[in-house]
Amino acid sequence: MDNAPEYVIEMLHITKEFPGIKANDDITLQLRRGEIHALLGENGAGKSTLMSVLFGLYQPDEGVIKKDGKEVQINDPNDATALHIGMVHQHFKLIDVFTVLDNIILGAEDTHFGFLSRKAAREKVLSLSERYGLKVDLDAKIEDITVGMQQRVEILKMLYRDNEVLIFDEPTAVLTPQEIEELMEIMRGLTKEGKSILFISHKLNEIMEVSDRVTVLRKGRYVGTVDTAATTQEELSRMMVGRPVQLVVEKDPAKPAEPVLTVEHLSVPSRLYKRDAVKDVSFTARAGEIVCIAGIDGNGQTDLVYALTGLEKPSGGKITLCGHDITHAAIQDRSKAGMSHIPEDRHKHGLILDFTLEQNLVLQRFQEPQFQNHGFIRFDETRKYADKLIAQYDVRSGQGPLTIARSMSGGNQQKAIVAREIDRDKPLIVAVQPTRGLDVGAIEYIHGELVKQRDEGKAVLLVSLELDEVMNLSDRILVMYEGQIVGQFDPKQTTVEELGLYMAGAKRQEVTEA
Amino acid sequence: MMETLFENLTSGSMVFLIRQTLIYAVPLMIVALAGVYAERSGVINLALEGIMIFGAFIGVLFVRLVQQWGWFDAVKAADNWVGLQGFMLLTMAVSALLGAIFSLLLAFAAINLRADQTVGGTALNLLAPALVLFLIRLIANQNTLQMATGDSASWFMLKKSMFGYGRTDEVGFLFDTFVNKVYLATYVCILVFIIMSVILYCTRFGLRLRSCGENPQAADSLGINVFKMRYAGVTISGALAGMGGFVYALTTTNCTSNGDVAGFGFLALAVMIFGNWKPLSVAGAALLFGLFKCIAASYGSLYVLNGAGEQIYFLKDLGINTNFYRLLPYLITLIVLAFTSKSSRAPKAEGIPYDKGSR
Amino acid sequence: MKNRLLKLWHQDATRSVMASVLSILAGLVAGSVIILIVGLCNPTLGLKSVWDGVRLIFGGLFATGRDASGALTFGFNPASVGNMLFRATPLILTGLSVAVAFKTGLFNIGAPGQYLAGTAATLFIALSIPSSVVPPQIIWFLAFFGGMLAGALWGAIPGMLKSLLNINEVLACIMTNWIAANLVTWVFDISNLKNVVENTKSGYIYKTTFNNVATSKLGLDLIFHDSQVNGGIVVAAILAIIVYIILTRTTFGYQLKACGSNRFAARYAGIKDKRNIVLSMAIAGSLAGAAGSLYYLSGNTEFFWSTYQSLPAAGFNGIPVALLAANHPIGVIFTGMFMSMLDIAGLQMTNLTAYNEYITDVIIAVIVYLSAFSLLIKTLLGHRKAHKDDTPLKNPGPQNTQTDSKADGKEALKA
Repeated sequence: MDNAPEYVIEMLHITKEFPGIKANDDITLQLRRGEIHALLGENGAGKSTLMSVLFGLYQPDEGVIKKDGKEVQINDPNDATALHIGMVHQHFKLIDVFTVLDNIILGAEDTHFGFLSRKAAREKVLSLSERYGLKVDLDAKIEDITVGMQQRVEILKMLYRDNEVLIFDEPTAVLTPQEIEELMEIMRGLTKEGKSILFISHKLNEIMEVSDRVTVLRKGRYVGTVDTAATTQEELSRMMVGRPVQLVVEKDPAKPAEPVLTVEHLSVPSRLYKRDAVKDVSFTARAGEIVCIAGIDGNGQTDLVYALTGLEKPSGGKITLCGHDITHAAIQDRSKAGMSHIPEDRHKHGLILDFTLEQNLVLQRFQEPQFQNHGFIRFDETRKYADKLIAQYDVRSGQGPLTIARSMSGGNQQKAIVAREIDRDKPLIVAVQPTRGLDVGAIEYIHGELVKQRDEGKAVLLVSLELDEVMNLSDRILVMYEGQIVGQFDPKQTTVEELGLYMAGAKRQEVTEA
Repeated sequence: MMETLFENLTSGSMVFLIRQTLIYAVPLMIVALAGVYAERSGVINLALEGIMIFGAFIGVLFVRLVQQWGWFDAVKAADNWVGLQGFMLLTMAVSALLGAIFSLLLAFAAINLRADQTVGGTALNLLAPALVLFLIRLIANQNTLQMATGDSASWFMLKKSMFGYGRTDEVGFLFDTFVNKVYLATYVCILVFIIMSVILYCTRFGLRLRSCGENPQAADSLGINVFKMRYAGVTISGALAGMGGFVYALTTTNCTSNGDVAGFGFLALAVMIFGNWKPLSVAGAALLFGLFKCIAASYGSLYVLNGAGEQIYFLKDLGINTNFYRLLPYLITLIVLAFTSKSSRAPKAEGIPYDKGSR
Repeated sequence: MKNRLLKLWHQDATRSVMASVLSILAGLVAGSVIILIVGLCNPTLGLKSVWDGVRLIFGGLFATGRDASGALTFGFNPASVGNMLFRATPLILTGLSVAVAFKTGLFNIGAPGQYLAGTAATLFIALSIPSSVVPPQIIWFLAFFGGMLAGALWGAIPGMLKSLLNINEVLACIMTNWIAANLVTWVFDISNLKNVVENTKSGYIYKTTFNNVATSKLGLDLIFHDSQVNGGIVVAAILAIIVYIILTRTTFGYQLKACGSNRFAARYAGIKDKRNIVLSMAIAGSLAGAAGSLYYLSGNTEFFWSTYQSLPAAGFNGIPVALLAANHPIGVIFTGMFMSMLDIAGLQMTNLTAYNEYITDVIIAVIVYLSAFSLLIKTLLGHRKAHKDDTPLKNPGPQNTQTDSKADGKEALKA
């Protein structure tokens, strides 16, 4: 081992260009044997592209990759596997209907007279899971197990292939704080056994806790590499965004007034299983406050929102909006009763990507007399209205109102949705993950708009998975766990850690009326 | 009660019913499996009908060409049934091969060019009958291609004489139903069906193929070549459908080809969906549809014997119009789809072209 | 000038037209190649007949026969052009039918069944109401609208199955096609409309002229004498224009297209997607019904009633008509005429050469095959759409493109 080179992986001067954007511009990354090396950067900084280059998914335009000091060519994942490089992708690469064992062996199967032979594989996986403390049920189907266990399957996939370099692409995004703690433990255990880990993240506290060194990227460029022990969160954050981050949203204390939305004992059936995804949930949102529903993805938030907005029929309970019972109302009637909605998935629910911007801006309003005359569209009015919104909300696009929504950037697509929903001027705004996947500038803008609406006396119901957003934006936090509200908090009097315990189901309050 | 009913049935047209049901069910089954292979690899194969038409044409053409070759007459005169059955198996293989080649058109459009698979499949469905009729007209100067000699393909059948029985010997219910006057092709298809099902579930190839229909991004990240797997899925699908087309022509239209298989390819798609993309359920569904097809085709000659030994044509006696029985299979398909659509589960990635750039 | 040309070139519509033209040319060339191969393989045909065949593929509409020396002659053939217009009528309408459904994201392969439903209703009405009591013009209107209504009802069935039970509309359409074929046979089988007057033919229904009902010629027969042309082509063109206006100018069309492009977002915005799917299929069905109706109301066409074993080609040929027109209602008028021109060329081929009309079906199939990836041809023509002023803020790398690419996949299905 003594004469082995210091670095197990070196990526030198990597450049990768996509049409219209330089995703990686002269980036250098050196991974020492047995270390946890964090790769830090905002969304779009080029982290995932760089890792895809290392994993053989993309070919770099320039630059070289060295393994154990020798230059290598990685043309596809097979090459990466042959070099014992493995990756846990942010979106798990698992086959839902296959068993855990089949997922682990897929691509590296043993056969016996042409038939799959799973016996040796089973033994090897069992011993690996023992050695690294990765508990899984080998015969369960992926669709039936928890996200945390799915991630352990992904790790086992790498170990089964005897990988020594393990890439974790934002592994904590879907985990509870407790699961994150467990993962950190596993990662430390892996390095003790001689594995080297690349850990991609934009969460500073995790990086500070687990990594040995950090390489920072910004907008596709290399910023620098530092020893974790010799740096601070503030310094890393400066390196990451290039300016001190405004982590706190400026806002005055809320002045909640009369209830706008009242939910009583609401239950919603699950779309996947034969049980309720939302169970007996009650809460109120008042005019002039931002109420936030926090929780790990998949604990019934989506179903709750679907029931509120009319996409799913509740199985019990009552929803009242501005004095109207809307429990079973049609979507249009809810909108008329006073609800606007920034949906979670802007491509699926928010926009019609093949329509122009102006057509998208009147998506709910095209039947109002302002925009139609005996069933014929009033094109002039539509244009005027679109121009107004575009100017007012600074939606940038190539051809103004005639831009096809698909060709707009994510931030501007989201701005268009926010503009449309806020301009409808309804007493209740339901905003589901309104800043997902956006850059800092767009996030600040959208947060500002929501606060402004609150100050104008609207009720804002925010559903978010980002704890920072939850803590900074809301006036009241409700935590959802397994379809129930398990706690109500004042953001000023709670901590992320405390929320985490509730989100993971470790603690619960008796909340009867939130 | 049950016993007498069974006796009445067996002595009535039970033999005929079972034989006839198998004749319809087997092509459906094998073509539905063709659909399973394509869709499990992630490509919607709407072209099953077209490939069947093409396979039927190729098979009949091959039979015709070989017949003109002289060798056939000698074999037939000598009643060399090994030769005859071998000839039939060879024809099945040729149809399968050409069916696979024809399906490459779909594979190329769907996989390489990432084209709309529904439209691509429709194109093949239009192309096959057009091309086949164009050629039949040139070859035969009419709209149906027939064998060169003989107007019945019955010399392809297994007969009791091959097993040493005489013309009038009693051979028992089972033998009479499953061997006498049955096409060997039926059993070859069942065997192929079983082998291909085992391959899909118990081999490395099958596991990888199925992964490409569920999550091609995952398969790709594990070094599985999605393009290759999908090509394999589509060509196997083409081979099975081509073979099924010939078997259909052999067993139901007397080994003729006229650019039509009466919607069998589409029925097979329905069977595939009804069978939830799983071979065993597909086989069951095919038998059910075969039964209805059989009733539709021959309800008038189905009878049971009553206590007095008279033949009771129970379906014919109902006095329902022929056309009702003819539309029954399609109506049943629709009703069955209506009841099963909620629980059916298509491969997740079917119909979505795989783009290496998007992960 | 150059700028304007460049702008025209970059317009989506221009590229659609170019893609269609390329598909057509490729189809014609493919047909010629088949003619060539067959001709070379078959010594009785020879190169001369290959040359004749190829010329007929490209210019069959203008063939006027053979001269004394046996060479093909070409020129304006009023009968051919008139027949082309006559045959284009149902193709335009079934093409519209497929196009409307496409706009709502549905693949209406059920046009043959709807066509049959329209045919049956029209013939029943046109032949059952005695023209001695009701003026034939009124019977014509009743028969025409009855045909459209029957087609609409038949189209609504797969629409409802799709929207309520989520059954794949392609399969539902195919099943309803065959059910229609059997049902129509059944209904005529027990009817008294079978033609027993002209004993030379069996299996046909009376012509509508038997009851003095026929589409007005509108003087078109004076221009295109010796042809079957009638006012139906005008009706088809008017319907195309109406469909165009509905789709582009009305809130109803806006809703249909919204459902077609993104059913979920439409539903989110309060648009009743299920209702729109049924309506769209009903409209599609009514257009296919009108196709059958107009074809048999011409008065000199006969319906072969025992149709349980085959489906009308006019229904299926609506698919290439719509695809070639990129689902543009006005474009459908032209592509419908093009398809019927191919038909005429095929007939000339049968009449004048040893080849037969099925070669045109081969050409159509090739064109459909190519239009399956017309999107690709379009992008190739455009040298990739350039990202202009709005460079995405996001990295187009792996992590954020997932939803986009999925949407693209769906898009391809619907385009």
